[in-house]
Amino acid sequence: MKKRTPEEKLLNPRPGSKIAEARDFGIDLTLVAERLRQSPQERIDGLQEGMKFLAELERARAKGPVRKN
Amino acid sequence: MIDLEQAIRSLTDNKVDFVIVGGVAINLHSSAYITIDLDICYSRSKENIHRLVAALAPFQPWPRGLSRDLPFFFDESALRNGTNFTFETSIGDIDLIGEVKGIGDFSDAVARSVTYEIYESEVKALDLTGLIIAKIAADRPKDRLVLPELYALREALDPDEE
Repeated sequence: MKKRTPEEKLLNPRPGSKIAEARDFGIDLTLVAERLRQSPQERIDGLQEGMKFLAELERARAKGPVRKN
Repeated sequence: MIDLEQAIRSLTDNKVDFVIVGGVAINLHSSAYITIDLDICYSRSKENIHRLVAALAPFQPWPRGLSRDLPFFFDESALRNGTNFTFETSIGDIDLIGEVKGIGDFSDAVARSVTYEIYESEVKALDLTGLIIAKIAADRPKDRLVLPELYALREALDPDEE
């Protein structure tokens, strides 16, 4: 039987597996599968961009709403 | 927010012996988890502490939570007087960990590490099983939250697991 790739396992988890548990816990496994296709440098660059986005959200939160509509 | 490129380039340029642990290591293993700091387990040898100070001193490390009115000087003596440190720096937060809970010291972390190439350098990061052990040992809510994803990744990457 042909072995499944990590991506195939993540996107179609075997019932009772740890992957199925993670999916049921609420982990978006499509994001994890996407990250698996990236190089380590791309993963780190993506993390740095995520940090910048979080910092921007924090700036917006600290400033508060600019107007009430 | 840590500037990963500046931090890691400075550590590797200064030939610091370190293993990336925590959120950045989790990301290297393909998790989508977001962290804002860099945690490293470092060798506590005299030579390595010398190199670590040379690597980080330009970023003016200051213990997180310590009043700026109090005296602190980031040097080899400061690092020899403790084991684990949490610093804010001009490039973001960096935690220096001499002993990783559940894992041990730098040599134990190396034994549970894999090597990745980032920023044109080879860097060690705790492997998935090491991260799972460390997260179970730390046992804070944020550690428990990431465990299901780490177990899933380990299972997905295990060639013997169907």
